[in-house]
Amino acid sequence: MKKIINQPDRFVDEMIEGILLAHPDQVKTPGDDPRILVRADAPVKGKVGIVTGGGSGHLPLFKGYVGKGLCSGVAIGNVFSSPSVQQCFEAAQAVDGGAGVLFLYGNYGGDVFNFDLAADMAELEGIEIRTVLGRDDVASQGKDRKLDRRGVAGIFFAYKAAGAAAERGDSLDEVAAIAEKVIDRTATMGVGLSPTILPTTGAPSFELPDGEMEIGIGIHGEPGIHRGELVCADDIADTILDAIVADLDVTSGDRVAVLVNGLGATPLEELYVLYRRVHQRLSEQGVSIDRKYIGEYATSLEMAGASISLLALDDEIVELLDAPAQSPFFEEHE
Amino acid sequence: MKTQELKNQVRQSMALLIGAADELRDLDQVLGDGDLGITISAGAKAVIEALDDVADDSAPSDLTRACAKAFANANPSTMAALVAGGLLQGSKAWSGKDEITVADAELFIRSAADSISHRGKSQVGDKTILDAIVPAADALAASPQSPIDAAIEAAADAVIRTRDLQSKRGRASWLQDRSIGLQDPGATAFLRMLEAWRDAENGDTGPKAAVYDG
Repeated sequence: MKKIINQPDRFVDEMIEGILLAHPDQVKTPGDDPRILVRADAPVKGKVGIVTGGGSGHLPLFKGYVGKGLCSGVAIGNVFSSPSVQQCFEAAQAVDGGAGVLFLYGNYGGDVFNFDLAADMAELEGIEIRTVLGRDDVASQGKDRKLDRRGVAGIFFAYKAAGAAAERGDSLDEVAAIAEKVIDRTATMGVGLSPTILPTTGAPSFELPDGEMEIGIGIHGEPGIHRGELVCADDIADTILDAIVADLDVTSGDRVAVLVNGLGATPLEELYVLYRRVHQRLSEQGVSIDRKYIGEYATSLEMAGASISLLALDDEIVELLDAPAQSPFFEEHE
Repeated sequence: MKTQELKNQVRQSMALLIGAADELRDLDQVLGDGDLGITISAGAKAVIEALDDVADDSAPSDLTRACAKAFANANPSTMAALVAGGLLQGSKAWSGKDEITVADAELFIRSAADSISHRGKSQVGDKTILDAIVPAADALAASPQSPIDAAIEAAADAVIRTRDLQSKRGRASWLQDRSIGLQDPGATAFLRMLEAWRDAENGDTGPKAAVYDG
């Protein structure tokens, strides 16, 4: 294992410390627990708060999207593990401006369990909670079991849209409805080329022999739908694109946003090679790419690979995507 | 039972329940992470303190909500949050009531059990607190003459039966088949709570059932 770390068990806290030192104008810890980050101006009075959370090891997911026009707070777990009930609850408390709080996070068992219990605790404190789960990974379940899908990079779209809705003063139900709508119109699929090495154990999270790829892999190395010989970029793009286009029923005349996301160790150059093919194929199909995002949005430490997400657009969603936003890891200018 | 009487009853039973903390700690050390004793004692103390702020003329559901909040805030543990969530759902089932009957008690316990089952994705037989709660609720419904004694008897029987079960939820499930033969701490905690309730009602100390000696 080669990693730039100190003590493995200090990895998460030292990373958070670094973020706080680098961006004190944008994020802060509201109390004594360093595993909770909120917007520097939280709680924003009269506006809906949005709390996300999950394991570490996915930057910019989840904590990278705390800021103006995005999420208001995040509860941070250890690498690939859930934050505690108490952390989820304290994050909700810290961002509640009196208009309620939306829990918006990926559909993983431990996170669901802890956030649900935190929702009960928040309710006891008189904070109204709604929950919307990211579930955009089409490889994790078939279309008939959409509700059981895992949330991956595509949750970024939900952060962006719901965050903009909260920022403009929408009600809790409206913000939740927008998050739900965006997630429902988002489909993602990934490909992994090499495994993640866990800092605490130094061991790879899964095995992937040299020269092989795994299509449909999850952001913790969850098994995909096809493992085989590594093929060329265009073939990878075609395989993923066919699956997500079919899942969303995107056809000629539709407008989409595209997100080509690197999983941690894949160079930007390769992401643009993928984007090129996505652009060609969608253009051929008469689908208009109205917004595009290329870079690292949801990673898995040093996993090599990428994911491609599509979001089927309408006017309302475009307006929310274009609204200004600012966090340490993402900016959308006026 | 109205709020004022309920308050005294809860206060006394929580004070008695603290006496079970060491036993629960020991059970949880072999099967869980060993914090159940402190969860119960810190939670019970917090509930007693919270009762001081509950007005005698408030509704019973306000009282139980205050208990839920106090219990959750006293502990960062998952167990405490599950219990608090259960008390919250029970409180909702009592909304609009100003006097509590045995049937209401059964309704409260069932609502709490539903919440714990739903939140914890657990069923009766998974070797959790639910294994004691559900039979106790059934017994309450079946024995209106001596409800608390019937509930204790059913819960004690269920707690003893948890020894033969394999833990399916929580940290205890990591032990897999090594959890067989051990008594479930959560189910035991619920039994001790019922016994404390009985002793508080009677004003003397009754027998302890299902005492596990390894």
